[in-house]
Amino acid sequence: MTDSPALVNLSISEAADALRRGDTTSVALTQSTLARIDQTEPTLQAYATVPASRALAAAEQADRELAAGRDRGPLHGIPIGVKNNCYTKGILTEVGSKVFAGHMPDYDATVVEKLYAAGAVIIGKTRCQEFSCGGSEPPTRTPWDLERFPGGSSIGSGVALAARSAFGAIGTDTGGSIRIPASINSLVGMKATYGRVSAYGVVPLAWSLDHVGPLTRRVRDNALMLGAIAGHDPGDANSARVDVPDFTAGIEGGVGGLRIGIERDYFLYPGVTDEVRAATEAVMRQLADLGAAIISLSMPELALAQEILTTIRMVESASYHRRLIREKGHLYNPGTRATLEIGQTILATQYVAALRARERFRAAVRALFQRENLAALVSPTIPVPAPLLRDVRRPRPDMANGETPTDGFVHHVYPANLSGQPAISAPAGFTSDGLPIGYQLMGRPFDEATLYRISYAYERTQDWHERQPPLLYD
Amino acid sequence: MPEFTPEYTQEEGEDRLFQLAELLGLEFAVDDLAALARQLHLLDILEDDKLQDVPPILKMDADWHD
Repeated sequence: MTDSPALVNLSISEAADALRRGDTTSVALTQSTLARIDQTEPTLQAYATVPASRALAAAEQADRELAAGRDRGPLHGIPIGVKNNCYTKGILTEVGSKVFAGHMPDYDATVVEKLYAAGAVIIGKTRCQEFSCGGSEPPTRTPWDLERFPGGSSIGSGVALAARSAFGAIGTDTGGSIRIPASINSLVGMKATYGRVSAYGVVPLAWSLDHVGPLTRRVRDNALMLGAIAGHDPGDANSARVDVPDFTAGIEGGVGGLRIGIERDYFLYPGVTDEVRAATEAVMRQLADLGAAIISLSMPELALAQEILTTIRMVESASYHRRLIREKGHLYNPGTRATLEIGQTILATQYVAALRARERFRAAVRALFQRENLAALVSPTIPVPAPLLRDVRRPRPDMANGETPTDGFVHHVYPANLSGQPAISAPAGFTSDGLPIGYQLMGRPFDEATLYRISYAYERTQDWHERQPPLLYD
Repeated sequence: MPEFTPEYTQEEGEDRLFQLAELLGLEFAVDDLAALARQLHLLDILEDDKLQDVPPILKMDADWHD
């Protein structure tokens, strides 16, 4: 049997293989993960709730099923974390807010139902910023550097994976909240096409921008998780009636002949640090060496993404929270409340203008993909490595326009929330200080498989995923 | 409340937001409302200039290469 510290370092694929070879059990995987949680939580605080006995019972059930020949697939018996804005029947779901303190849902979000159906062991609820909007910061820290911003809003999901206290995790992404923690914690994070994964039972931030998706340490694991949680759901009016392919089927197909675009004016704007720029250029060179064509192109509409998305987000958030603020306004963090309430001052005509502008934006992206026959657009995920916590909302000294790290976080990720197209963040290397750097690929709607194919081809040329956070493992 | 038209200035937009916030009994930081005013002003210019005949529909298609 594999020993405990080694178990938590396995990828989902490796753990699944070990389970089927009889080299380990789901109970051993779960016990090892719980031990890692005990070891790391006092410092990192990735989890809001850890239902340990429930997880162990699920692991025992998974082992019994596998022994009886019932195999539910690659997530069977694998410990998975779930962001604390996803409803879990009988497990606290507090969305990082006193407004939901003690909230025990009586049903599961569809994504949780699908995880159970796939045999996954829900190891815990990962912390998130209050209502996923960044108005407050949980005490969570990243093991890459305790003094630096750990990513958001799926903070706990990213940190749990970096700390090896989960094999995979669910996040949500309205304006980068899967991809940003993925970049900061050297992970793979997929925001699939809008409607690909049901949002039923997930506390909304902005209905028309919300996406649910997987974070993992490896590309193949991410494809396996997306395969388990994707699919049409009549409970979600925005769920897409589109078949779910095996996202791993063509993952080893390489990038030969694929055309990958780079919009340098927007994606490599002056806010991108030299090291992040160099890492992104290195990814492009590597993909070119592997046979992809890297195409420089122009799309001035990208500069509008932030204004359009923010208007839509503000109004939809204000709509969802209007009654809650009236009834429990005193329980909100004041910063969160202001962020969620300001949308009440936006006129209906301005909201509709933003929706119309989104259509124009999406048409421009579509035209670009068609004209250039693109498989993907490539960019950094965020312009800077994780900033020091004290600097997150301070103007950057190297930016004359007063841009803060928080302002910059949304620059590269907003366009895919606005267009609804899929986008993945994957490791692109490290700074000279050892901080992770991520790159992003945006793809064609419902063509997540090509993004996995490209990022897998790149991953095979590097060993970024082997590097572990220094603070806990030296 | 001042009348809303696409030709309003950004300063008029800020005034409108402050008055509206007051009417609604909401308290926001001056900087937040000013930033929102800039954002909405840009959108209004965009609507006036570029959004004629564009309806507000979000429907994801799998046919970008068909």
